[in-house]
Amino acid sequence: MITQMNVRGLLFDPYNNAYIVILRDEENSDMLPIWVGKSEASAISFALENVAPPRPMTHDLMKSILDNVDAKILSAVVTDLKDNTYYAKIHLWYGDSEYSIDSRPSDAIALALRAEAPIFTKEEVLQKQNSEELERWLENLKPEDFGKSET
Amino acid sequence: MSVEQNTDLVPLKVHGVLVDPNTDTQIVILRDESNADVLPIWVGTAEGTSIRLALEDVVPPRPMSHDLITSLSTHLGMKISQVVVTDVQNNTYYATVHVSLNGLERTVDSRPSDAIALALRAKCPIYVTQDVLKRRAGDNLDAWLAKLDDKESQSSET
Repeated sequence: MITQMNVRGLLFDPYNNAYIVILRDEENSDMLPIWVGKSEASAISFALENVAPPRPMTHDLMKSILDNVDAKILSAVVTDLKDNTYYAKIHLWYGDSEYSIDSRPSDAIALALRAEAPIFTKEEVLQKQNSEELERWLENLKPEDFGKSET
Repeated sequence: MSVEQNTDLVPLKVHGVLVDPNTDTQIVILRDESNADVLPIWVGTAEGTSIRLALEDVVPPRPMSHDLITSLSTHLGMKISQVVVTDVQNNTYYATVHVSLNGLERTVDSRPSDAIALALRAKCPIYVTQDVLKRRAGDNLDAWLAKLDDKESQSSET
């Protein structure tokens, strides 16, 4: 079973000096927080805010190479969680076959947003991540931790 | 200006990646085969790191963004055949990535940093046009680079 997820936003995690992509399902009942690096976070935020940078960023180049050969990005799927590392796959349609390619979730999400392709997660990934611990962590976040997205 | 541009291609090798201590960005040093010409290109931290990983043949546990592009290309039967630094305007370098598929070659607009990161992974040649090489910055570039080399070697010892 897979669940469609929406990117609800990006938070700055001051404790780990990293960013967190928040994925939520449509009913807002499940949440998947994925820690990503600074450059991946900026690639995702450019796409979220529909900003076209003056020069193509890495994921713009990725999409433009795929567009050039008429490969279509079907979806991004978060497929697994092992030892605190999330795994994802990018599904492509090219020629007359479907391809699925191993990726970090950050790259898969950055690419899916640019292609306006859906993002899914496997149910078991949602079950695996410990939501209780996460909610406690989120409660401890202070308003100023959210400041980054306002700039 | 109607000066005719020399678009002959000069092959370049990636000589190394330095950290610019003044701006906290990284500089990719490209040199021609005779070591006579040098082309320094300022890149972001992520791109610099990606280029360094490829130079040192480090395979990260999970694919980085440029590894993913390489893997996408391989899966679809595409080949990254060459990359070219094509232009410089207002201190911004422009590049193209040449992708060949079923005998057809296409060119895709790219930042030089992405193009170089891909070329190293695809083990394909990196070129610059004569024109860009001629117009590159500063006469005392070599002196400046030498100074940077010293700083770099100090900081890399820590």
